[in-house]
Formats: sequence, structure tokens, C-alpha cells
Amino acid sequence: MERQTGFARNAAENPCNMCMPMGGIIPFKGVEKSMVILHGSQGCATYMRRHMAEHFNEPIDVASSSLNEKGTIYGGEKNLKLGLDNLIKLYNPGVIGILTTCLAETIGEDIDRIASEYLLDRGLNDVSLVTVPVPGYGGSHSEGYWMATRSIIARLSREAPANRRINVIVPHISPADIREIKRILQLMRIEYTIFPDFSDTLDSPFTMPYKKIPIGGTGIEEIAEMSGAAATIQMGVTASREISPGHYLQDTYGVPLYNMPIPIGLENTDKLFAVLKQVTGKDMPESIFSERGRLLDGMVDSHKYNAAGRSAIFGDPELVLAIAGVCRENGITPVVVATGSKSFMAAEAIKSSAAVDVPEQSLLAGTDFARIREHCREKSVNIAIGHSDGRYLTEKEGIPLVRVGFPIHDRMGGQRLLSVGYTGTMTFLDRITNTLLEEKHKNYRHGIFDKFYTGKMA
Amino acid sequence: MAINDKHIDAILETYPAKVKRNRKKHILIKDSAQAHQEIEANTRTIPGIITNRGCAYAGCKGVVLGPIKDMVHITHGPIGCGYYSWLTRRNKAKTPEGGQNFLSYCVSTDMQESDIVFGGEKKLARMIDEVMDIFKPNAVTVSATCPVGLIGDDIGAVAKAAQEKHGIPVLSFNCEGYKGVSQSAGHHIANNGIMDKIIGQGELIETPACYSINFLGEYNIGGDSWEIHRVLEDIGYHVVSVLTGDGSYETIKNAHVADLNLVQCHRSINYIADMLEKKYGTPWLKVNFIGVTSTIESLRNMALYFGDKDLIRRTEEVIARELARIEPVLDQYKKICEGKTAFCFVGGSRGHHYQGLFAELGIETVLAGYEFAHRDDYEGREVIPAIKTDADSKNIPDLHVEPDRKYFKLKLSPEKAEELKKRIPLSNYPGMIANMKDGHIITDDLNHYETEEFIKLLKPDIFASGIKDKFIPQKMGIPSKQLHSYDYSGPYAGFGGAVKFAEDIAMAFTSPTWNFISTPWKDKPLLEGAMQKEGH
Ligand code: SF4
Ligand code: SF4
Repeated sequence: MERQTGFARNAAENPCNMCMPMGGIIPFKGVEKSMVILHGSQGCATYMRRHMAEHFNEPIDVASSSLNEKGTIYGGEKNLKLGLDNLIKLYNPGVIGILTTCLAETIGEDIDRIASEYLLDRGLNDVSLVTVPVPGYGGSHSEGYWMATRSIIARLSREAPANRRINVIVPHISPADIREIKRILQLMRIEYTIFPDFSDTLDSPFTMPYKKIPIGGTGIEEIAEMSGAAATIQMGVTASREISPGHYLQDTYGVPLYNMPIPIGLENTDKLFAVLKQVTGKDMPESIFSERGRLLDGMVDSHKYNAAGRSAIFGDPELVLAIAGVCRENGITPVVVATGSKSFMAAEAIKSSAAVDVPEQSLLAGTDFARIREHCREKSVNIAIGHSDGRYLTEKEGIPLVRVGFPIHDRMGGQRLLSVGYTGTMTFLDRITNTLLEEKHKNYRHGIFDKFYTGKMA
Repeated sequence: MAINDKHIDAILETYPAKVKRNRKKHILIKDSAQAHQEIEANTRTIPGIITNRGCAYAGCKGVVLGPIKDMVHITHGPIGCGYYSWLTRRNKAKTPEGGQNFLSYCVSTDMQESDIVFGGEKKLARMIDEVMDIFKPNAVTVSATCPVGLIGDDIGAVAKAAQEKHGIPVLSFNCEGYKGVSQSAGHHIANNGIMDKIIGQGELIETPACYSINFLGEYNIGGDSWEIHRVLEDIGYHVVSVLTGDGSYETIKNAHVADLNLVQCHRSINYIADMLEKKYGTPWLKVNFIGVTSTIESLRNMALYFGDKDLIRRTEEVIARELARIEPVLDQYKKICEGKTAFCFVGGSRGHHYQGLFAELGIETVLAGYEFAHRDDYEGREVIPAIKTDADSKNIPDLHVEPDRKYFKLKLSPEKAEELKKRIPLSNYPGMIANMKDGHIITDDLNHYETEEFIKLLKPDIFASGIKDKFIPQKMGIPSKQLHSYDYSGPYAGFGGAVKFAEDIAMAFTSPTWNFISTPWKDKPLLEGAMQKEGH
């Protein structure tokens, strides 16, 4: 097995990840009535909004303190405070995330101090400020996501009486995925707090009139009471302890943590129901049992086509891990498993997971597409599974791409892709199998003719 | 509805007092009774307002340098900035036979915390070596992002050393995102570098063909420049270089030999246009190839500049041929669009350029503006001497150029130039305001709040904007047209582009989808007929 987790080269050629604040914005979109301001020059916020808007097809309002050269010399405190004034005046949010960027971190801005001074100074008590230090050079968007999720909980939660709810902490999955998890929990009549819940805010129904802050998101009160929950189910095994929100709740308030992979794939979804049973005592409902049966039936139907698959998987570590599981369950060999994240924990989690333990597998952490491409060639990959930037593999190597994850900027509906649960897994698997079939049919007659009739192909 | 100051005040009322005063200066109602209307532009963005402006790096690497296809463009900085500017503008490029095209690559030094602490110069130097090794490009650019300037990496020195080591041009650009107030600063920085280090490096001493032109400020979004080229070449022009859409180091280095420079996007390239005139004696002509009337006018002005009978005849022939082809098609679309209104808020020139094309379809632009333009783009170049340079603009040095000893050649006698200037926009841009109708709104650096309010006030039928703001009108039940990268469509320039644009706009109006959505102000009870019947 080949394992490469270092980064020998100086060049990042066609990156497979974005920077930390990008990931940090998303959990805030999953909090009710919340806004984000990036402390730095305005380019970062503009770029990130642009990319999020393209993926979600929604207006993405993220403010910036718009620092300029003067601000880099004298500090950006004044700009940040002015920015907060304006943001509050126009949007009237209940929560504001203050995220740093490379600039703010490099000049050493103390956003904690600025934030608490600001609240005192303006005498505000109806808005919470959540600070998250996320320098772009500090990690990828995947780590940024976890850091913001943890910071929100750390800032908003408080000692609360024990309640019957369970916390469900989701990684960066699609709004449709979050809705599916909610459907399952509702079907089982489980009381829950799902966080961050951007299922409505980043995939909002068409309603008039237009709302500046879209309706939806986990309630601020609900987050506050996550400390009193009976348990936390976190779909985040690749998040290291210091940035894991589930660990925070466990360490600070003693909420038992069940940390598990994203319920994509039969085994992972089974795990979810096992954990739910353990925590609530409730069994899988009949209707879901049928969904499971249908998934199994579908897996049997398509196993012979899937057997031909040699996949390259890339993207957020958490998603990569779950997808590798789906491949393994269905006889698709995940020969290249890659993430742009350099997080040691993420690499370790993927490495130690039996799900991806395939002989001659290339495991790449902190990687770019140039290296993924090399490994795809070496390992004769015939299907790529990941976000839109993998289209480069299609263009250069003719490897078809099944789009999943973030960002999806060259197709519609990234926000609606459903992959979790038994039903989600089935639709996801169908997308994979059909892509393999399409490839096969494209070359079938030609290939067979050469192989069996002319004997040209060895 | 006649819009007056009270309407604007009502919108600005929500802002804190200081912000209100500030924003008010960025908004005008066109009034031709006034001798001159002044607008504030290119000043600091208000923090916390959801602006659509980007940073200097975006303007430099993203806009101006990015499309040059045979150079590898290295982003020196953390990964985000490079990633976010990776092929997002849909600037198309053909790979010439045996030539180079690196546009699909995003190359970044991916700075880590340790590089921020200990400096990133060595990493950058090693990276240039690697790039040479892997790509063997004709030339390389290095663009700095925010942290680079702050930690004091000397990218100029690294570039110089690399240039000596590898024997190809390595250009460095200190376009840290915090410089200036928007992308605009980056345009200027990129212009200076291209002028200083690329143009004039070519081996050509004089133009290889007659009627030779450079095409400045055209970025070939969705293939725009190809459609214009088709017509220009048909008429008999020789295009020496394009800056920078589908452009290359190999062609731009000979830009000094052209007889005339065309300027499409004034904002992003006027510095080079000006410097080319000073250094090589080549005047520039403001053209606009968006819209049929503007395209025709631009072609005629070009022919007038050269003043050649045959060229003028050929120009008219091509115009007649193209018109005969497209007019009947446009008429069909016009029937659908007639009487509608539009907002046109785009970067630094399209907010103006597209108004003519909308008008040809019978659509009136009732609000227009730029994200990052300067006063001259609104009020015309004659205001330039009156513009105060503030601290933010001062930190972008002007490149001082002098007539080139070897290549300077006056292309027009001063008398001829004066005479032409009376008839065509030679080395001049009259700006957007001149073209707008009384009562219509001009607004600079429009933000999300104002976008929503102005839509409620003016109820346009279509909103032409960028990707970040286009979802607001759509959520309000109004079609949008993305005019930065065209929503995966185009070309929209020239004759053929006008037809494509008309088709797209008409499609936006006629799509049955909108029938399911009732815009509040267009609400008619759907079941009126049936209800009445029942009542009787
Ligand atoms: S503002 Fe600075 S850090 Fe942000 S994108 Fe621009 S160059 Fe990068
Ligand atoms: S890497 Fe840093 S400077 Fe660049 S976009 Fe991200 S936060 Fe901004």
C-alpha cells in the first residue's frame, strides 16, 4: 500500500481544497438569524460569497471589515466595529460570526478583545458575537468548518438542565442530506437538536417576500441547551479533538459523545440506527427497514457493474471516508483516496479505517489535483467521485466524474444531492453505477470487437 | 414613475447617519439641466456593507494577467486566494498550434503558518524552479496576496533571481489585496507591469501588415473577442495583440508596433492605453463592441481613423452584410422585449456598454452603475485633472514613461489628431452619465441592501449583474442576467453576440417558469373570471 501524507513539492497545482474561513462561514449559515463578518480585506469575503452562491444558487450575504493599507499598519479595530454597526443596523441578526482571515491573523488582531469591548461599548445584549480565528494559511476549509461549529457551541451553550433531546452534529453535507437525517429522526419520534442546520437557509424554498436573512437554522436557544442533551451523535470522526464540537460538549458538560462516520453506505447507516437504539432505545421503524431492504436489493442488482469500478475519491476528509465505504461495500475498488486537508487527524482517520484498506491504494493527504491525476493514471482509475474541480480529471484523463460534496459549480443542484441514509445511499450508488455503465457502453462494441475478434487488445 | 431625491433618501434612511451621507454621494439621478453632475467613486468601501467589490489581487491576477495564456501565473500566498481565482471568469483561449496554454492550471505557493513566520521567499524560488521544470512556459508572473506584503517577502528580488537563472521573463506584482479600495488598484498594478516588462520586448520593429491594431481591455468572456475578431479580420485589420483575452506573452511583447489601440474596457486598461501613446506615439480609440449600433459606430470610427477609402468601403460592406443577416432575427426578439426595463450593475465598463444593446431590444436601463469604476468612467475623462488622489490610490505608483528612443513613431500628426478628436472618441472616453436618460439612476458600488430596495422602488423586468447579487432579484421573482461571466453563455459582443444576447434575454422573459411565480406588484387574481361567474 502506498501512503503519502507529506507534501514533497512546493507547488500546489490545481488545489483540492479551499481556505479555513470559507469552511467557517457555512456553520453560521446553519444558525437562526445569523450573519458573518470576515475581518480582513474585502477580497476574501467577496471570493467566498461568489463560490458559495455558485454552489447553492442562493444569495450569500457575508460582510467584510474591508481593511485597507492603513488598517494593516494601525490595526483594523475601527473598521471591524464600524462594520458591526452597519451589519446590525441593516440585518438585525441574533448572532454574528467574526472570522479572521490571513490579513487579520498576520497583523495579530485580537478579535476576542475587540468583540467584548464592542458589546460593552454599544451596550448590546440582544446579539451574540462568536469569534473564530481562521487564518487561511492555518488549514483547509474542512478544518474551518469544524472550528466554527465548535466555536458557536462554545460561545452560545450554557449550563442547562438535563433534557431528553439528542444532539446531532453534522459535517459539511448537503442541505438535502440534512433534511434526510431530520426526516429519519422525526419518523422515529426522537427529540433532537441538529446543528448546524443549513438545510433551509442554503436551499431555501421560493417564497415571497424576499428575506435578507433566510428563514431556518438551528435556534439560538436550542444551541444553548445542547449542553443538557442526553447524548451527542457527531458525524465527524476526522475532526481532531481540539476542533471537535462533540468533544467540547463531552469535556465541558459531560454529554456522552457517539462519534461516527457520515451515514452514507449500508454499514454506516446501520451504525446510525445502532447508535440511535443505544441512545433512545428505539428500533428502526418498519418503513426504514423497507428502505434498507430496497438498498440491499439495489446493491445486488448492480454489483456486477460495480465490480469493474476503480475509483478515485477526493474532497472533505469526512465525506471521502464515507464514500470509500460505499465503494468497498459495492465492489468498487477505491484505489486513490485523497483530500486537500493537511490535518493529521483526518489523514490518520482515513488511514486507520478498515473501509479504505485496499492493497496498492494511494492515500493522499494535503494533496493537489496534479498529484491525484498522476496516481489516477498509475492506478488505472476509471471513475472519479468528488466535487467539481475533479472535472480536470475528465478533461485531461477522460475519467468520468460523479459529482458530490462541495463545491459543485459546473452543474446545477449541488445543494440538492442526496446521499445519506439508505434511500440517499441508493440514489448515490445509482449515480455511480450509471456512470460506470455509461462509460462502458460508450466503448463497449469497439472494445469487444478489438478484444475478441481482431485480437488487437491484449 | 418619476424618481426624486426623496425616494433615494427613504432608502438611505435605514443607514447610520454617517453611512447615509457617504452613500448619498454615490447615487445620482440623471438631470441634463445641470451643467455637470458629479458622483463619488473609487473611494473606500464601507465596512459591514455587503459590497460586490473584490480586492487588488483579483483585479491584477484574476482580471488582467490571468487570461494571458502562455504564462504560468503563480499566486504567492495561502491557498484560498489562488483557488478562488481559478478560471472563474470564463475567459476563453485557443491553444495555437505548437503554442502554450496554461489557463486551466491554478498554481499557488500554498503558504503555511511557518512560511508566514519565517518568510516565503525560498518557497517561492523553489516553486518557480518547479514550474519551469513542469511547464517550461514562455514567461511567468508572480502575484502577491495579503500576507506577503505584511511579512515583507521581497518577491521582486526572487523574480529577478529566477529570471536570471532560467532565462525567461519572471514578472512580479505587489498586488496585495489590501491595496487601493477594490479590484481597480490591481488593474493599475498589472498595467504597470505589462507596460514595463512585456510590451516592447518583441523583435518586431514595424507593423507586419497595414491597419494593425491592439485590442485593449477585451477579455474574451464566453468568446466575445473571437466574434469581434471575425469581423475585424474580414474588414482587413491585422490584430497584433489582445490585452488580454486569449492573449499571449508572445503577441503582447510586440504591441508597440500597432497603428492604433482600441480600448473596450476603459477602467481596467486605460493606463496602458495612455502609456502606449506617450511611449510609442500610438493613439487609442474608445470602442464598444456590445450592441449593434455601438459596434457599427466603433467600426466606422476605426475606418475614419485610418481614413482609407477602400477600408471605409469594406467596412460598410461588412456592416451591410451583417445587418442583413441579423436584423430579421433581432426583430423577432424585440417583439418580446419591447417596453421592458432593466438594471445594469456590472464591474467597470459593462454597466455602460450593455445599455445600448438593451435599448436596441426596446429595453430601457433605469438604473446603472459600476462596482469599482472611477469618476472618469461615469463623468468622462475631462474630470481626471479634478480628481483628488487619496491615500489609497497614492500607494499604487504611476509608471513614468517617456517616448521610446527606438520605437516612438507619431502615428498621427497633431493637426490630424485634433481634427479627428472632434469626430471620434480618440484618446477619450465620455463616460456613462452622458448616455443616460433624465430621471434614471446612476449608482456606484451598489450593495445587497440597496439592490433590494431599488428593485422594490423601480420594479425592473430584468436585472443585469454579477453572480453574487443575481440571486436577490431571482428570489424576488425577477429574471437576472449575469454579465460578468454570462451564466455559461455568450458570446455577447459584436453582431453575432447581439443575437445571442437577445435570444438569452427573450428566453428569460418567455420561460414558462415565471408563470408560476407572481411578482407582488404584478399580482392579478388568477381565478378572477371563474369567481365572477360564480357570483352571478
Ligand atoms: S483580500 Fe487578500 S487575502 Fe483576500 S483574496 Fe484578496 S489577496 Fe487574498
Ligand atoms: S487564503 Fe487567506 S487571504 Fe486568501 S482568501 Fe483565504 S483567508 Fe483570504
